[in-house]
Amino acid sequence: MDTLINVAHGFGVALQPVNLIYCFIGVFIGTLVGVLPGIGPISAMSLLLPITLSGTPESGIIMMAGIYYGSMYGGSTTSILVNIPGEAASVVTCIDGHQMAKQGRAGPALGIAAFGSFIAGTFALIALMLVAPKLASVAIAFGPAEYFSLMVLGLVVLTFLTQGSMAKALLMACIGIVLGLIGLDSITAQPRLTFGRVELIDGIGLVPVVMGLFGVAEVLLNTEQVIKRDVINARITHLLPSRADWKASAGPMSRGTIMGFFLGILPGGGAVVASFGSYALEKRLSKTPERFGNGAIEGVAGPEAANNAAAGGAFIPLMTLGIPPNVVMALLLGAFVIHGLQPGPLMITQNPGLFWGIVASMYIGNLMLLVLNLPMIGMWVQLLKLPYNILFPLIILFTIIGVYCSSNNVFDVYVMIAFGIIGYFMRKLGYEPAPLVLAFVLGPMLENNLRKSLILSQGNLMTFIERPISAACLALAVVLLVGPLLPALRKKREMVALDEGA
Amino acid sequence: MSDQSNVKFRLNNSELWGGLIGLALGGFVIWSGLKLKLGTINDPGSGYVLFYTGILMCLFAVSIIIAALTEGGPTFGSRWQNTRWTKPVIVIACLTAFSFALNPLGFLLSSIPLMLLLLRLIDPVRWQLAIPIAVLVPLGMWWILKRLLLIQLPSGIFEIG
Repeated sequence: MDTLINVAHGFGVALQPVNLIYCFIGVFIGTLVGVLPGIGPISAMSLLLPITLSGTPESGIIMMAGIYYGSMYGGSTTSILVNIPGEAASVVTCIDGHQMAKQGRAGPALGIAAFGSFIAGTFALIALMLVAPKLASVAIAFGPAEYFSLMVLGLVVLTFLTQGSMAKALLMACIGIVLGLIGLDSITAQPRLTFGRVELIDGIGLVPVVMGLFGVAEVLLNTEQVIKRDVINARITHLLPSRADWKASAGPMSRGTIMGFFLGILPGGGAVVASFGSYALEKRLSKTPERFGNGAIEGVAGPEAANNAAAGGAFIPLMTLGIPPNVVMALLLGAFVIHGLQPGPLMITQNPGLFWGIVASMYIGNLMLLVLNLPMIGMWVQLLKLPYNILFPLIILFTIIGVYCSSNNVFDVYVMIAFGIIGYFMRKLGYEPAPLVLAFVLGPMLENNLRKSLILSQGNLMTFIERPISAACLALAVVLLVGPLLPALRKKREMVALDEGA
Repeated sequence: MSDQSNVKFRLNNSELWGGLIGLALGGFVIWSGLKLKLGTINDPGSGYVLFYTGILMCLFAVSIIIAALTEGGPTFGSRWQNTRWTKPVIVIACLTAFSFALNPLGFLLSSIPLMLLLLRLIDPVRWQLAIPIAVLVPLGMWWILKRLLLIQLPSGIFEIG
């Protein structure tokens, strides 16, 4: 009963005209960046992070969340019609989705992707509503040791899942922690690594770092290649899947939804891993696995449901523990912090309007996305023809303006350009920026909790082992760190390791 | 074993240099941590986490270097093979020039040439389209920010904008 009252309260917040507008802007931009290859939700969210300052916290976060789950919808359109994933979570959709489009079944492929996404998104929201408050009440008992160990686990899982060498990913995570510690020490107020620059006393801003590493660096990488697009030109008809399509997709959608939701909750996991996991599962369960890769609708329905359910599930650790499970959620945490809010176990009770408003807005956003992605599909197809030689200079200009507006400080523009150049060389040399950004956000919290737990335990390191949750997190982190040394686990890691930055 | 013995040591191995940069950074972080004072385990100081993070950085960097020496790795040249490497160089040069010009010239006088250069140099947009975009987009953004959102962009020594 309490949940229903809270949901009604949330809809009251989400249905305010201003929040509806922000929600629409969010899902629209999300679909846009999902459709456009080369720009992912991370770049778009970092670009729009400063804009959240102009409205209420609810409006800003509703918009940012909309970009994330909106991009999951939009990504499938490009995968199906152009055979280029609009964002990383839609890589698998290319395999069967584009084959269906080539066989003249682009309509059903787009339709099942949109409906699958909607159903999974709705399930994830209901689960979020039921699970989050329960987990938050448990999380109140968490002490600094548990928080420290959970953050370590989150960082290790992300480095485990990052493409390429794990040593490189761990090095990036360490650099992220160091960058996060620049500025005044929160306990002793001693300046650290400021090199005498007044601008660094408050530390480096999240906005210039992320815009540089994901916005500018992404443009630099894309200018290297001639981007060719083979857009399906045939008219898209029969967007509503047939009875046979529904029958074939029901199982994959259900399994993808459940799998995606749980993978989304796990620290370091997310939509990308969920979509690959779902595809592998469906292929294994199928009586005719040879159809996969040749236009099997199950290969579209399962992964699309999984990546949307994962996007919903990823909100749980952020909202209940205050720990972002992936880079996108780290950006969302940045948006909370910009507004002076700290997500965590107390947020649901202290700020119910915000929590339930965001949840309700996600449901409304899902409905908006269904309309945006089915009847208006023609508009997105036209957008796929937008020339990149105009788009890239515009992105650079928007990043400059966005960074300047976030702090009214030219120094941040320099920081962004520097991180853009560093990010470009990092990516060229095989160093992924995702662990760096997550560690940059978690770094100060990690240090704070480590020092607090050491002070409280009077320097007894056993405090991390004696507490069961902390011990379990650290044990899992150790397994993941040592795992890649074993050939079998290394092979498994290579199968699931993905580029989160796309 | 024989595969490993066949690996040639090459100075332009990009993995090796990546590891060496990581090692240097790790060394610097350790030194910074020591300078900031480590404190004790009962009461960790400002440099405590930095110091141990620096040690971890050195360990990971060493493992990258060892892998580069034993398994080899791609050269710098191969990383940019079959790419239009001059394009990012041009964009980087434009952005660097822009960062020097932004404060003295202000937003409008520095961003209009930046846009024009990017539009013409990445994949040339024809002049008839490039000039209006390069002028109107920064001008439009400046107007929205200054008039609607009341955000003052840098106006430079000429106080334009």
